[in-house]
Amino acid sequence: MTREHDGSSVDLERQLVQVMAENRLTRRQLLERMGALGIATALAPIVAACAQAGLTSPSPSASALGVVPTTNPTAAPSATAGASASAPASAAPAATPPTAEKDLIVYNWDSYIGENTVAEFEDKYGIKVKYVRFTDAVTQMASLRKDGKGGGYDVSYPASTEIPGLVRDGVIQPLHIEWIPNIVNLGTDWQNPDYDQNNLHSVPNYWWTTGFTWDPAKIKDDLTSWASLWNADYSGHIGMLDDVQECFAAASFHLGLPINSTADSDLDQALASLEQQKPLLRKYTDDDIGDMTSGQLWISHAWSGDWVQMTYDNPDIKYAIPSEGAIRGSDTMVVTSGAQHPIAANLWIDFNLDARISAANSNYTGYLGPNAAAMTTIDPRLLADPNINPAAAVYSKLTELIQLEGADLDKYTQRWNALRA
Amino acid sequence: MAEVPLRERSVAPGAATQARPPTAPRRMRLGGAFFVLPGVIWLAAFFLIPLVAILIVSLGTNDATGHIDLSVLNLQNYFQAIRPEYVPAFVNSLRYAGLTTVLSIVIGYPIAYWISRYGGKRKVLLLILVMLPFWTSYLIRTYAWMIILRDNGVLNSILQTLGLTSDPIPLLNTDFSVVLGMTYGFLPFAILPLYVSIDRLDEHLVQAARDLYASGRAAFLHVTLPLTMPGIIAAALLTFIPAIGDYVTPDLLGGAQTTTIAKVVQVIFTSGRDWPYGSALGFLLMVVTLGGTLLALRSLRQETFAS
Repeated sequence: MTREHDGSSVDLERQLVQVMAENRLTRRQLLERMGALGIATALAPIVAACAQAGLTSPSPSASALGVVPTTNPTAAPSATAGASASAPASAAPAATPPTAEKDLIVYNWDSYIGENTVAEFEDKYGIKVKYVRFTDAVTQMASLRKDGKGGGYDVSYPASTEIPGLVRDGVIQPLHIEWIPNIVNLGTDWQNPDYDQNNLHSVPNYWWTTGFTWDPAKIKDDLTSWASLWNADYSGHIGMLDDVQECFAAASFHLGLPINSTADSDLDQALASLEQQKPLLRKYTDDDIGDMTSGQLWISHAWSGDWVQMTYDNPDIKYAIPSEGAIRGSDTMVVTSGAQHPIAANLWIDFNLDARISAANSNYTGYLGPNAAAMTTIDPRLLADPNINPAAAVYSKLTELIQLEGADLDKYTQRWNALRA
Repeated sequence: MAEVPLRERSVAPGAATQARPPTAPRRMRLGGAFFVLPGVIWLAAFFLIPLVAILIVSLGTNDATGHIDLSVLNLQNYFQAIRPEYVPAFVNSLRYAGLTTVLSIVIGYPIAYWISRYGGKRKVLLLILVMLPFWTSYLIRTYAWMIILRDNGVLNSILQTLGLTSDPIPLLNTDFSVVLGMTYGFLPFAILPLYVSIDRLDEHLVQAARDLYASGRAAFLHVTLPLTMPGIIAAALLTFIPAIGDYVTPDLLGGAQTTTIAKVVQVIFTSGRDWPYGSALGFLLMVVTLGGTLLALRSLRQETFAS
């Protein structure tokens, strides 16, 4: 519930980082200088926070809106872009970044980077990495938002759909592109995503698809269509993901409706289709891996990354990106607004955008990233798999989900609960 | 709560104690307040304050960006809380909690009876055995049930090896697995109060009934069962109340057709991100459960003590 965010402290933090960068200050020097400048500087964010708390109504939202004067997510970045443009980085784009920080706290999924990525980063920069893991995205978002500025972590990996909300609520800070020269490695269709224009606050990390898996021992057919998840022959052994937007997207692909629609008529049609499907289902699963490998499910709506893990247990399990089109999901690397080690955090992101490191990450996890430069070093077996590296015609039919809010979100939630109950 | 009967008891013994100084009950009351203080602080900090917080949030609204707005408090969420779509989920919750309660008592009563009457010197050991499952996390025990019940799990493998079935029988993700898991989880909560009331029962009363030519069955039905009814009621409450709000068991062992009202509330909080509405529904459910329980308790108590 502590979603209040104090914009001025983020500003101050950014200015401090800039000062440090420009003058090659160490943290100790900075503290000394701050002492010389007087306590007023140090207290400024606290005073500002108190003033803000006193001024605003009991509504946390009011204070959040008060900080960012507009709800338009693109307006805030443009202001900050102006601020960072004043940094000397533009003069020397690939200048050696300052490395005053000795620690970095990364908050990520388990087994989500290459085996040696942390060690290589530590060797290169002399920065000690503390790698903290989470097991589900709800926990991750709760941790990042608990103090409104990242929960004490420096870098994390939120889903792309979360970025607009994280920017608006001041949980993450603008990136310092001058310290991320490897950003040029991004493929062209990843350089200006809808959720974060010009990647001002985030860098895409991996992407995946949502299609379906099936066990060829139980289902002999070669499946290609979403209609398979509605096939009564598999009744009692079909699974759908326990995820409202994914289920409505699946029904929309199945019916040929627009994806991410918020029109009542579209949603009612999708709901009717899902209601019709429900008696055939074994469960709405949040463990598609376990349910597919332990026999309950013969066919399941699934994420491609989960399918890769299923094959570790049962190499025969198949996956399809359905011919009607599918959801493409992606996640990102971000720097939290409360980061204690913001320079190291930007260096971490740059390091993971390095072609060789990015390829090593992909080779280990089985996820492809948006890194065009890495494609030459990625394991050819990954690249040869049409489910991981689909042909251009299939790729062009992939759609990203949007972040639903307010009344639009309620439309989905109400229908989802009506379906589930 | 204990103050009133305490005072009554101390004054009740009649005229002989009338000379007692009038300050005594007051001193007792203060002493009682002292002993109850830690409990009151605990309940205030971890029950009352959170409850009030939920109540306040439930009167707020969700603004367009998903933040809780408490500037205008109203009952809007409560008017929207009761929806016909939720009825099947609520019925599921009632069904699972009811079945779990009945099964826990039917299974637990003979166990408690046996421990009390035939446990002998090993009573304590047997009671520890009842509580032994608590030494392992409930989540792990529920996952163990998943391994036992799933289609290529332990039970289906045995059935198939014995030739009793060719295809695996769907056990997991059904009503059966939910009620099984919940009964398993709540059984110790039923056995302990049942044991206490059975153990406290004066066996001479049963012997007296037998002396008056009551059959074993009649003595049980007319003496043991009514006198242990408080234990049965306590066991029923300790099972039914947590069972009706149980979220974990139906979520892990249930399937597409076993949605409970707790899941509906969870969806509103997490993917729906509407805390005020979820709080209202949660609060309403609590009131309904509490009211229903009190009513049931009152009618049961009247029945029990009328007989």
